[in-house]
Amino acid sequence: MQILTKNWNKIDPLRIDSYIKTGGYESLRKAIREMTPEKIIEEVKKSGLRGRGGAGFPTGDKWDLAAKTPAKEKYFICNLDESEPGVYKDRTIAEKNPHQIIEGLLIGATAIGAKKAFIYINGYYRKQNEILEIALEQARGKEFIGRSMLGSAIDIEVDIFQGAGAYICGEETALINSVEGNRGEPRLKPPYPPVAGLFGKPTIVNNAETLANVPFIIKRGAKTYSQIGVSGSPGTKLFVLEGAVKKQGIFEAPLGTTAQELIYNSLYGGGMASGKDFLFAQIGGASGRLVTAGKLDQPLAYGAGEYNLGCGSIFVADKSTDLKNLLFSWADFFHRESCGKCVPCREGTYRLWEIAKRIKKNEILKRDKENIEDILWTLSNTTFCPLGNFAAIAWSDAMKMFGKEIFG
Amino acid sequence: MSLQKILVQIEPKPENLLRALKAAQKENKYIGEKECEKIADYFSLPLARIYSFASFFNEIRTKKETKKNIRICSGGPCLSKDSAKVARQIEMLLGLEAGNDAHPKYKLEYISCLGLCDRGPVVEVEGQIFERVKPEMVDDIIQSYL
Repeated sequence: MQILTKNWNKIDPLRIDSYIKTGGYESLRKAIREMTPEKIIEEVKKSGLRGRGGAGFPTGDKWDLAAKTPAKEKYFICNLDESEPGVYKDRTIAEKNPHQIIEGLLIGATAIGAKKAFIYINGYYRKQNEILEIALEQARGKEFIGRSMLGSAIDIEVDIFQGAGAYICGEETALINSVEGNRGEPRLKPPYPPVAGLFGKPTIVNNAETLANVPFIIKRGAKTYSQIGVSGSPGTKLFVLEGAVKKQGIFEAPLGTTAQELIYNSLYGGGMASGKDFLFAQIGGASGRLVTAGKLDQPLAYGAGEYNLGCGSIFVADKSTDLKNLLFSWADFFHRESCGKCVPCREGTYRLWEIAKRIKKNEILKRDKENIEDILWTLSNTTFCPLGNFAAIAWSDAMKMFGKEIFG
Repeated sequence: MSLQKILVQIEPKPENLLRALKAAQKENKYIGEKECEKIADYFSLPLARIYSFASFFNEIRTKKETKKNIRICSGGPCLSKDSAKVARQIEMLLGLEAGNDAHPKYKLEYISCLGLCDRGPVVEVEGQIFERVKPEMVDDIIQSYL
């Protein structure tokens, strides 16, 4: 079953007509002409769609909260700030089928009554930014965006907001802060953004992949959608396979598919690359857990099993992988991306990075091993936002699995 | 174009602040104290807020860059495609160390993720992006771009 990748490489992303020919914007038309905002939200709720950014929060519930909060102005933001190493699914949707995201965004904005929507795009995605600019312009020309959309009384304006290279801005409250012209530091929750977000107004921040699912749900109905995947996690998901597999890239599979299948089935990864032996798979980007061969058979769904599927990336490490380099890579990333708001994360990621440098150069000090445990505990338990926990996940697993190998 | 001329094209609303900084940097290469002051005036915001905002983002420079800049991705997928060897090759060729600021002319930094994991290893030389870089290509890239 293909929902997201169905028309990739078949349509021309630079021409709106080729999207419309495949039934594009029919869902928006249906949502505006035949459905009330309450009905749209009801449908998305019934579909069971959950946020694809990693947290897996039910999208319909989020929308409902924003719709029910009384306010003069509301905002809708599409989160395309993907900057996790090893993840490029949102980038690819924007590249291959930008209108699918825009249509989902417009349906969402209609449902909650937002007049202003943003697409928050990673600053490095220059080509995708251009594609989206063109797509928005063409959608405006067809009256899908702007004043009295499709002859209705609804006005929605969509702008692109380009980020400038900050991983933390993928977190919704940090993202909102940076749009407001403040440092991209996360805010204390509650209040949650659907109640008080951008400029203190109800705001929905949805991942681009989440929004790309919405046109299908509106067109084919919640029932059809909820039958795909597994109960509790319906629909399909884009999985990114990288590392020592035969076929690397993006694969669409129903939620509930196991990592085992994704790596070995010829439909997806097609097994290990020749001459490579499986060591572990890291599921969910640089912040993902390390999964050994024996545990690959758990279904990848939200809130199920021992590990989260996160944003859906699977990095396969083989036995020739240089673990010291990999440890450095994780520590280097998080120390660079820690926003500096809270001390445990700012200092913890920095000290971990210092130790990682020593490990890489084979200059480990006696105290390093204990210190790692201390730092990892602090990061997992005391940081303000999840970035600190993320920084500790892969390291904690690696210490359990390879601690002896590294420290002798 | 003067900074003033760039700014008047942008509406002074907070959500346009990052856009203004980016536009100004394109022209001026960096956003120093003087530029921050002008932007603060234009947006009617405190100077401290402009500076703290500008200094937050990787892509915005608040100091004049005197060195030639090379950046290489250190993410897992790029690593699995031998980015470490590429980094070592660059270090050897230029006689410097990644992340160390000591070299008078060049600087090699690690970055993570330009979202090009499928085309790694990724190297950026003075804003120009190179994909699928192999150690043996380093020589050519450096000779023609630095």
